[in-house]
Amino acid sequence: MKRIFAIIALACFTVGFVNAQEYKVAKSTGRLEIKEVNNVIIEGYAGNEIVFTSRDGKRDEDKRAQGLRSISNNGLEDNTGFGLSVVDKGGAVEVHQFKRADGPNVTIKVPKGVVVSYSHSSPYGDEVKFRNVESEIEVSTLHNSVELENVTGPLTIKTVHGDIDASFGPNIKNPLSIVSVHGHVDVALPVGTKANLKLGTVYGEIFVDPDFKIEVEKSGGMVKYSDNVTGKINGGGLDITLSSTHNNVYLRKK
Amino acid sequence: MEKQKLEALLIDYIDGTLGAADRLAVEEEIRTSDEARTLYDQLRLVMNAMHESSPLEPSGDLRKGFESMLKQEISGTGKGKSVFFQPSFYRVAAAVALLIVGGGIGFWISKEQRQADELAAVRKEMERTKQMMMAMLENQQSASQRVLGATVAFNDIEKADDEIVNALIQAMNEDPNTNVRIAALEALGKFHRQPHVRKALIASLSTQKDPLVQIALIRLMVEMKEKNITRELERISNDEEALPAVKDEAQAGILKLS
Repeated sequence: MKRIFAIIALACFTVGFVNAQEYKVAKSTGRLEIKEVNNVIIEGYAGNEIVFTSRDGKRDEDKRAQGLRSISNNGLEDNTGFGLSVVDKGGAVEVHQFKRADGPNVTIKVPKGVVVSYSHSSPYGDEVKFRNVESEIEVSTLHNSVELENVTGPLTIKTVHGDIDASFGPNIKNPLSIVSVHGHVDVALPVGTKANLKLGTVYGEIFVDPDFKIEVEKSGGMVKYSDNVTGKINGGGLDITLSSTHNNVYLRKK
Repeated sequence: MEKQKLEALLIDYIDGTLGAADRLAVEEEIRTSDEARTLYDQLRLVMNAMHESSPLEPSGDLRKGFESMLKQEISGTGKGKSVFFQPSFYRVAAAVALLIVGGGIGFWISKEQRQADELAAVRKEMERTKQMMMAMLENQQSASQRVLGATVAFNDIEKADDEIVNALIQAMNEDPNTNVRIAALEALGKFHRQPHVRKALIASLSTQKDPLVQIALIRLMVEMKEKNITRELERISNDEEALPAVKDEAQAGILKLS
């Protein structure tokens, strides 16, 4: 039995060594600011280091580049070895990627106490994914879609062209604000969630699972500048804003 | 010996009610002090006069007159006696009335007090809400806290003072996070009747670069029937840099306002 474990451990170690390059920053509070990184998956875990892992196979060694270092016009340094610059600025850890287009496939593991901020504006990106993240998430993208799986919030998610898909566990932290201009907003909540909902669209439609009994508020005064639905579910509680200007808003039960 | 004490002792001495020790002391005092002696003489004169004066007798006529009046009175009211006007009834009635009035006043005062307390509590609560909101809006570490701050303004604050309005305007125009800007805009939309807010919203239209906020802002202004923005909307709809969706919204706004 011990031998099997030893072999498995050894195998993991070798695989890890060969396939995935890692870079760690000891940090359990503060902010992680990911800027213009094209392909990234962010996972929450119980630890006290931010762990960056490349999902690409080891790059072919460039013999010509031996002894040289990769530089870019933004003054950053590839200190991870897989095309990512990670700079700890005390309160915040800033992450940039080297190339404008393309770039590495990265998985970032984030401890619970670290606020994750992701911003992206180039058209070269791919969907950004968040999994099991139990801390605050801020996302602002122009083209990228956003996928959030089993996250807790608080969330402030904004995209112009991207779609947003999110599913939540029973523990949700106030508030959730999810807005898109052209993409859809698709959110799955547990049926028992207590919330003050603001669902809005201008040119799209709002779809809600019939199990959510929304007590719609008569909008007194102003603010009714679109087909907004404002109301409470389960007596009210969390402030949840879901809106898409040109696309649909879906609220389904998890 | 003090004069007052001496006087009291002298009066008792003249009346003959003093104890042996006191009497000796008083006699000694009278013998030795001139002042005490004169006081003693005066007091004795006065008291003798009081003892000797006979009680004043009413004159015969007066007495007769009074008795006849009394007789008349007795014969007149003897039969008309009623249970209701017994003095004890008056007393009870007065007591009850006093109780009621007193209770009423007490209740009224306590009610006034309670209302004042409630008012103070509400005011305190509002102040607390405001402080909480401002602190949240200023939290640079967490965008979601700032969103919550704006949401508090939207949900819980009925009438915004200048401080709140300025904080919201600043958030709408300068916050790095779009969600915060939109939340601030929504809160300002609620206070759009305040002229200051209206002006700020109009001004913001020419500086906003965030497409989401631009669209929300244009829709809000159109809903407010703010005709002064048509020129700005024309500029946006011809702006090369603006997102097509924003241009469309501006175009639609011009049509709706004209």
